[in-house]
Amino acid sequence: MVVMFVRLKLRMTANNFRGQPWRIALFLVGVFFGLWWAASGFLLFAVPGLAGSEQAALLVAGFGGGALTLGWVLLPLVFFGVDETLDPARFALLPLRRRTLVTGTLAAALLGIPALATLASTAGLVLSAGALGGWTAAVAQAVGVAAGLFLCVAASRALTSAFATMLRSRRMRDLAAIALAGLAALLGPLQIGLITAAETADWDRLVGPARVVGWTPLAAAYTLGFDVAAGRGWAVPLKLALTLAATAALLWWWSWSLEAAMVGSVTTAGPAKAARGGAVDQLVPLGMRWMAKNRYAALVAREIRYWWRDVRRRAGLITFLVVGLFLPVMINIVGNARSPDTVSISMIFVGALAAVTLANQFGYDGTAYGANVVAGVPGRLELRARVAAFTVYAGPLLVIAAVAMSLLLGEPTWVGLLLGTLAAAYGAGLAANLFVSILAAYALPETSNPFTINTGAGVAKSLLSLVSMLGSAAVAVPMVVAAALLGDAPAWLWLAGPAGVGYGLGAATLGVYLAGDLLDRRMPELLAAVTPRR
Amino acid sequence: MESALAVRGLVKRFETVVAVAGIDLDVPAGSFYGLLGPNGAGKTTTLSMAVGLLRPDEGRVWVRGHDVWSDPTHAKALLGVLPDGVRLLDRLTGAELLAYHGLLRGMDPAVIDQRARELLDVLALAGAGRTLVVDYSAGMKKKIGLACALLHAPRLLVLDEPFEAVDPVSAALIRDILQRYVAGGGTVIFSSHVMEVVERLCSHVAILADGAIKRVGTLDEVRGGRSLEDVFVEVVGGRTATGEELAWL
Repeated sequence: MVVMFVRLKLRMTANNFRGQPWRIALFLVGVFFGLWWAASGFLLFAVPGLAGSEQAALLVAGFGGGALTLGWVLLPLVFFGVDETLDPARFALLPLRRRTLVTGTLAAALLGIPALATLASTAGLVLSAGALGGWTAAVAQAVGVAAGLFLCVAASRALTSAFATMLRSRRMRDLAAIALAGLAALLGPLQIGLITAAETADWDRLVGPARVVGWTPLAAAYTLGFDVAAGRGWAVPLKLALTLAATAALLWWWSWSLEAAMVGSVTTAGPAKAARGGAVDQLVPLGMRWMAKNRYAALVAREIRYWWRDVRRRAGLITFLVVGLFLPVMINIVGNARSPDTVSISMIFVGALAAVTLANQFGYDGTAYGANVVAGVPGRLELRARVAAFTVYAGPLLVIAAVAMSLLLGEPTWVGLLLGTLAAAYGAGLAANLFVSILAAYALPETSNPFTINTGAGVAKSLLSLVSMLGSAAVAVPMVVAAALLGDAPAWLWLAGPAGVGYGLGAATLGVYLAGDLLDRRMPELLAAVTPRR
Repeated sequence: MESALAVRGLVKRFETVVAVAGIDLDVPAGSFYGLLGPNGAGKTTTLSMAVGLLRPDEGRVWVRGHDVWSDPTHAKALLGVLPDGVRLLDRLTGAELLAYHGLLRGMDPAVIDQRARELLDVLALAGAGRTLVVDYSAGMKKKIGLACALLHAPRLLVLDEPFEAVDPVSAALIRDILQRYVAGGGTVIFSSHVMEVVERLCSHVAILADGAIKRVGTLDEVRGGRSLEDVFVEVVGGRTATGEELAWL
């Protein structure tokens, strides 16, 4: 049965390439990155053991393995999404037992570039353990590496589908946001650890924490070979049991939320609430009543409603909230280098990340975008409205980020600088991403799981995010240059605010103007690009 | 008589497949025009190209003399469209969706409110209240889609499979509304593969198969004294009875 699933996945992947040379090219790019990643990981994991350093090997296995598992948990949620070539919901009508379904889809999930690259890089640990403790350690570590891979894949599946279920339900979605933030917060301690390690270079102090991490499911599978090498053979069965128990628990959680998703897709909306007021007043949010009720108001109102009601878009907002606000705080508070330069650069990251949320804005709408095509909405109006509506959410968050950062840094006078840099990066990012959203739009599967992407779209999606991040940062370069040249000159601290806001506004306006023209010429092509293949 | 919709030499290829192979159509103003064809004949592709959703490889389309592809603003203002297989903006409630379409069409808010209330009442959707369209049944989605197409009182309605997934009561309601619309001077072109509906409603019929028009004219011309179903089966071809193969059923 498992073989069937694996063959089905291979066949679907192959069919997906038919007549689509660019998909093959993207796949090859993915393979290249996978190989590169596997090779560098392999070296990193293998070198300490080959060099004969038991402590370094334990450090690398503990922290490296832990980071790897965390990455598998977090990255699909935050950046990449999961490849649902074999979406379990497609098998809902077949007489399959849950266990068959879960093992089958798990096996198919193991057959992908990320999983294979992980396996290849962690194989370095086998070499490392073998060099330190002979063949028994190597064998133990090989078993550990395999178990670790299962844990990683199971964790990523379980978490994405659990979050999908939570984000769908009206009661749970706020809880899901908090949980996601908490998960991202897990990156914090890890980062502190790495930074202190780099600063103190006091390896002995870190062996303790590494050993502790090695006794959590995060890295248990990756450290057991070194226990054998250190003469603690009794630890192997315990750590294996820990890993397997965690995997089993995750798989159980996964299958439970799969079932919840299949049953729960029939919404229990309850009795319909009566509508109040005229149709137009229902559409336009309270805060927009002062605006003239015209096409622009309709577009903005619809977008504002969609950023909240569409699960995918809400997931995008939450991602930005978590990554964009949390990481710079960690970098700037934990790191010791507090200069306007580094703070500016981290602010540019936040501003660009906010704008990258729009990189596939038409893909969110899918075929529903046809309504605007039929109505003949002019491109510039469309883009201006979309930018305005997103700024209703992103704007306050950016202001909060600037104020919070300046207070946390204990430099209240930097508020202007931070705000200006954020605004410049956000505006520049919008300009870049408007083009990306028109030229490189891609269809999202019409499922209710906001983390799923189409077969083979993973590479495209991550490349696209990378390109739009780089593009946004490139357009914002003048702000960095100004910050670097003028540094913390008092005049710049005050000028940076208005200058940055002006720069951002100018960039966004120019972007809307030029990209709007492009959209006018490409509406049907854009609609075709966001229409899922059936 | 002026054509409400004129199509000349429309061609669309998807990779190697020719979906539409050179279609000419004239939909007279005030007509009730049925576009008949089996699954995969190219009905949806043709209608999508006619309303500006899909760019044709060749050919041109005019709505009351305005070219859909070179003068979209004027052409699209005259059009009301109900696409098939296209999602509505389904995270809005019915009333919100109507308001959105009305404002996009540049209508006065007071007029939108009044017409939206009437349409929701007549189509029996008022009871859904603040339910999002995504939670509507298939039939309700068709009805709210039709309401969106009708809201700005267009001169030409292009409807793709308006009767699919609609229960008999709603279908009768939609028929009444469309007949009243045509009596008031509007023009309707719709696609279907349900003979009874076409025979009951249409003044003109075109039969489409394999991306080309096989028969076209007024209903009586196309029927030529026979039933429409006989003509359709003859034109489209294909088997009409199963032989021995499915004996195990």
